[in-house]
Amino acid sequence: MEWILLILSAILLPVFPLSWLFNRLVDTAPGCWGRALAILVLPQLGILLIYTVPTVPLPTSLERVILLLVLFTTLFYAFRALSVREVTIWTRLMASSGLTLDWILVAAGKNVHGVQIFALAWSLPAALLLVWAGLLRQRMGGAYLGLQGGLATVLPRLSSLMTLTALALVATPIFPGFFALLQVFHLLAVSWLWPLLILLLLWGWNIGRFLQDLLFGSYRGEPMEDVSYGLAAGGFAVLFLFALSTLIWSGTWTGI
Amino acid sequence: MDRNLTLGDRLKVRSMIYVAGEPIPRFWPMRTFIHHNPLFGLEHLPFPDAVEEGSRLFHGQGYLTRQQYQEYRKEGKVDDGALRRYLQDFLSKHSLDLPGIELEQWLWTLLVEYVKPQVMVAGDWVDGTVLAAVLHGHPTALEEQELVRRLDDILSRKIHLDGPVYSNVDLLFGTRITETLDELLVKSCLDFFDEGQSAWQLPGREKGFYRAWKEVARRNVRLLLHGLHLPALLSSDEGPEGVIAQILMELKIPEDSWQKYILQQLTHLHGWAGFIRFRSQAKHYYWAQKYPADLTDFLAVRMVTGLTLLQEAMRQQGCPGDAEAIQEFVRKDPFAAYLRLELYGGSILPGWAQRVDDAIARPPRQGYRELALAYIRAKAQQEAGKQALALRALARQVGGGAEAALLALEPDSLRQLVELLGAWEKQEGYTWLRAMESHYMTQLVRKVRLPAEQKEIKRPFAQAFFCIDVRSEPIRRHLEALGDYQTFGIAGFFGVPIGYLEYGKGSEQHLCPAIQTPKNLIAEIPAEMELEEEPLYGALEHVLHDLKSSVLSPFVAVEAVGLLFSLGLIGKTVSPVLYHELHGRLHAQKPLTRLLIDKLTAEQADSILRAVQRAMIVRALQKELHLGRHQVTDDEVRELREIALAHASGPSALVRRMGFTAEQEQDFIEKLRSDYRVDRQETSLQLERLGRLGFSLEEQVQYVAKALLSCGLHRNFSRFVLMVGHESQTQNNPYESALDCGACGGGRGLPNARVICGMANNPEVRRRLRDRDIIIPEDTWFVPASHNTTTDEIHLADLDLLPARHLLYLERLRNGLQAASRRNAAERMPTLGVAEKLARDPHTAAVVARRQAHDWSQVRPEWGLSRNLYGIIGGRYLTEGVDLEGRSFLLSYDYRLDPKGRFLENILSAPVVVGEWINLEHYFSTVDVHHFGSGSKVYHNVAGRFGVMTGNQSDLRTGLPIQSMYKDGKPYHEPLRLIALVEAPAPFVLDVVGRLPKVKSLIFGGWLRVIVLDPEQGYQALVLEEGQFMVHPDSGLRPKAHWEARA
Repeated sequence: MEWILLILSAILLPVFPLSWLFNRLVDTAPGCWGRALAILVLPQLGILLIYTVPTVPLPTSLERVILLLVLFTTLFYAFRALSVREVTIWTRLMASSGLTLDWILVAAGKNVHGVQIFALAWSLPAALLLVWAGLLRQRMGGAYLGLQGGLATVLPRLSSLMTLTALALVATPIFPGFFALLQVFHLLAVSWLWPLLILLLLWGWNIGRFLQDLLFGSYRGEPMEDVSYGLAAGGFAVLFLFALSTLIWSGTWTGI
Repeated sequence: MDRNLTLGDRLKVRSMIYVAGEPIPRFWPMRTFIHHNPLFGLEHLPFPDAVEEGSRLFHGQGYLTRQQYQEYRKEGKVDDGALRRYLQDFLSKHSLDLPGIELEQWLWTLLVEYVKPQVMVAGDWVDGTVLAAVLHGHPTALEEQELVRRLDDILSRKIHLDGPVYSNVDLLFGTRITETLDELLVKSCLDFFDEGQSAWQLPGREKGFYRAWKEVARRNVRLLLHGLHLPALLSSDEGPEGVIAQILMELKIPEDSWQKYILQQLTHLHGWAGFIRFRSQAKHYYWAQKYPADLTDFLAVRMVTGLTLLQEAMRQQGCPGDAEAIQEFVRKDPFAAYLRLELYGGSILPGWAQRVDDAIARPPRQGYRELALAYIRAKAQQEAGKQALALRALARQVGGGAEAALLALEPDSLRQLVELLGAWEKQEGYTWLRAMESHYMTQLVRKVRLPAEQKEIKRPFAQAFFCIDVRSEPIRRHLEALGDYQTFGIAGFFGVPIGYLEYGKGSEQHLCPAIQTPKNLIAEIPAEMELEEEPLYGALEHVLHDLKSSVLSPFVAVEAVGLLFSLGLIGKTVSPVLYHELHGRLHAQKPLTRLLIDKLTAEQADSILRAVQRAMIVRALQKELHLGRHQVTDDEVRELREIALAHASGPSALVRRMGFTAEQEQDFIEKLRSDYRVDRQETSLQLERLGRLGFSLEEQVQYVAKALLSCGLHRNFSRFVLMVGHESQTQNNPYESALDCGACGGGRGLPNARVICGMANNPEVRRRLRDRDIIIPEDTWFVPASHNTTTDEIHLADLDLLPARHLLYLERLRNGLQAASRRNAAERMPTLGVAEKLARDPHTAAVVARRQAHDWSQVRPEWGLSRNLYGIIGGRYLTEGVDLEGRSFLLSYDYRLDPKGRFLENILSAPVVVGEWINLEHYFSTVDVHHFGSGSKVYHNVAGRFGVMTGNQSDLRTGLPIQSMYKDGKPYHEPLRLIALVEAPAPFVLDVVGRLPKVKSLIFGGWLRVIVLDPEQGYQALVLEEGQFMVHPDSGLRPKAHWEARA
């Protein structure tokens, strides 16, 4: 029973190879709102399941295996995202890359609330980005970047929202992901830090490509209607509060 | 690959490159920015054809957007009558009868009311049938057979056999070879063409671009990092032509298409190609002499790098490696090829992109056919949907039953309508352009004043010759309005082409229109004793600048001396005027100088050379042997010179006296020859150069007579005749030279002014001029001056030569000039965004203008030649007192003093051509500021000290920046062709034009518009339209009495 619970948890809080199922689940959710909800809720369910397993914190014999799997998963999805230009797919791959790090906290015996908040550091920006991708699809017919450069000139508000949210997703300082990542650095032994450094490089590369495709170049397509000021203000407010919450607690809530 | 290339093959490649390079405009270094027509190489074509070809070659737009023209129309700047006339002309050539469709009404609505850039939607799949279906709300029903046939057409149109192989591979495999190739090529160019910006230079540059690059490329880490393996390609001893031919053969480009292929390759980075083209043709250009390069080298480097990248892509992605293999790839699976083309070409429907991307990454088992067919149907539906929406929107704007008539059209009629609209939109820009020009021609004809009856001629207080530059017009107007001043317009080099050797500068600068090569050299020499010691501040500055360019300085010098630089930064930012005044005081002032204007005799030249060489030997003795001047006699110096020139042999008396060894003497003599250039070959070169120094007396008479007579001045000279050259003054501005004098090859006009004044003040010249009926009174003095177009100040030069009796009037002259400057500043400053309140007071306006000139953060210190429009060749009376808004080149000319038309020939073939270049540079930089212009200054970086690039590397940016052309996001410069108005009899003008093939082709090819104001036909304004003179309707408004009185 414990094993079944652990496997289920590894599907919902993605670890390779079960992460494939997590991605399928998110992908098959209906519409952008459904996908956003899925990416918010599934990891939380996974965390709750883990903490129903009596042996949590995990046995020491499993720690090393899980650590290896988690680090592989995070690097694999970050690397995989490099070749993707479709915003929905990119978002779920990047979210998978970030969410899997939750297992390091679990292995370190952190309490359930800390782990849940840690997961939110990735799933909240991912959910928002999935919504923005849906809005972009409504306007362009698809959310595939790089076909028409310079979207910032034609959709300035939506592009700004996407830019800030994507920055939050790749753990840019002031956003919670950054402090969450610091916590992971804190928990790992020095000899295990190099995969995280590679991860930072891959995420940096990812966001570089993402912004290059989204913002730069000159737009040559049809004029499009940007998102309303109200929606944009709402989006910015959520992101602002998201960042503010981290700044107020200075990462304390992430356990540092 | 056939490696046995004959000499004929190589010559053929070279000649192809030469011909292919012709349409690429030469790009002069920015230190001497030359305004030029970006389509100069296409000037043999009529203007609209050249614009079309230029757009294809350089990927730029030739006209403004419809919306912008519509705004001009709302502002009353478009002649509606002309617009409708051109529309009717178009319709008469495209007779088409469509039931219920009022074509004139449709096109007129499209012109003046339809606000979107295009009604025609770009697409591959729209035809009458598809459009009719979509208009009626039915899905597109493309037959599969028809669809496949059209697919083949589309693919053969988009993937040419003779198209660039790398680009085709990019389109089919998303490889980005072209982008990487450009990046590597620009880096190679920066390494080779650097003119002192880099601290470390590319080795072996004297061997030429290709050979120097080849040496380095073999062990270039940068290329190795790209995974490129060049040695195999570079191992042969083949020259650049041979390498190009081999690669073309390896890429299997059909030999008939080599020319086209080379042209495509050269125009890809046309800024660099233009610079290399200029360089290879500029024989006097120092850097080209030292480090030769031509387009063949450039192309060879491009093609070798390109082939290497292609081979790398073949290894990694298995893409085809030559033109034939690409065709085979497309032929084998056109469906896959089309999907790839759509995805990597960026034209795919975004909703399909991921699906197609996945399919290309994991080929479907059943092949691409089904996916491609489904995609094409979706694409056709989308294209037709857009087209239908656009047509219905237009029909609704046309009103009446237009929409119903549109819906009632049969597919074939729909096709015809769409084709007609497409043809109209293709030439719509040219129609707008002509209609706007028609408006401005009418404005000019109405503004021009006819000469009044001859009054008694009063001697003016001063006469001033200004450059024809549009910036001279307002200051001339203000000066004339102040009182007793008469002004003339002449090309800013005053008709005297000179090669100028400025004191303290090492190389010769050509001060004349770029299309001329000066024969005469003018040297500036200090009239005061030159101090050997460098002033302390100057020396300190040298040390600091050397530190800046040192590789190690970032590690050690920033903390040590960085603070010193910050003083300058703060000073320039907080108080630019004060900073520059203090800075100027700390620097050594330029000494008083004179120009060597008179030709030297052979004896004089020899004597000067001897004196210079002796001075060099004295300096060498001090530096190399530590012998002071007091230790050496004249005879000993003379003997050393003879030995260095190989006229005598050692040991010299000095060596014997001082006890130096023979080796020491030999070393010293070698140093004299190599470092101090005292050798026989150098002597003959210097003598040849000295032979170019100055002008003979007859030449001086010719030039002065020509300058005066061509402007119509041969009597009634005033006490002061000012020759006013012009220059600009800006900080931190790579385009500074673009604001200087175009007629002086982008240099300052003062040296030419000093030369012509020196000639005209020469008593012997004046005596000979009298023989030509040009009577210059004894009390007339020609004074050179310089008009600073940024601050509006006019500075008088060579005042130390002014006769004493003129000093009494100097104060009045200065006051007048200062008042005109201030009034001009007050007119100009509001256009630069200075608050009206500040600009209203002329004194404050002048202070603000000075600040603009010193402000290093100012991206628009002045408007330069922006808004230029007219060129008026005739008497000043035509426009005296008329506000031409600083938009006119004013050339003084009196045809009565030019019976053979020689002066008009000169005017048309130099100043008018320069004016046309300036005008078209501005035209194209405005209509497409990103392709023909240079984009925003904000992103510019200086490249190699000769050009600018956008960002850290790009093609060299030719043209003018957005800050010079646009204000608040809208064009400040109205892009129109130069409207030249000539005051002379029409047959006389035609006769002169007929003698000038280049000018004739420009005028009749429509590169400039011409109005002839014919004094012998009652000052009728004759407009040259479609190769024929038409009487302008407003000509009839002229009161006859006026022209009769003048005639």
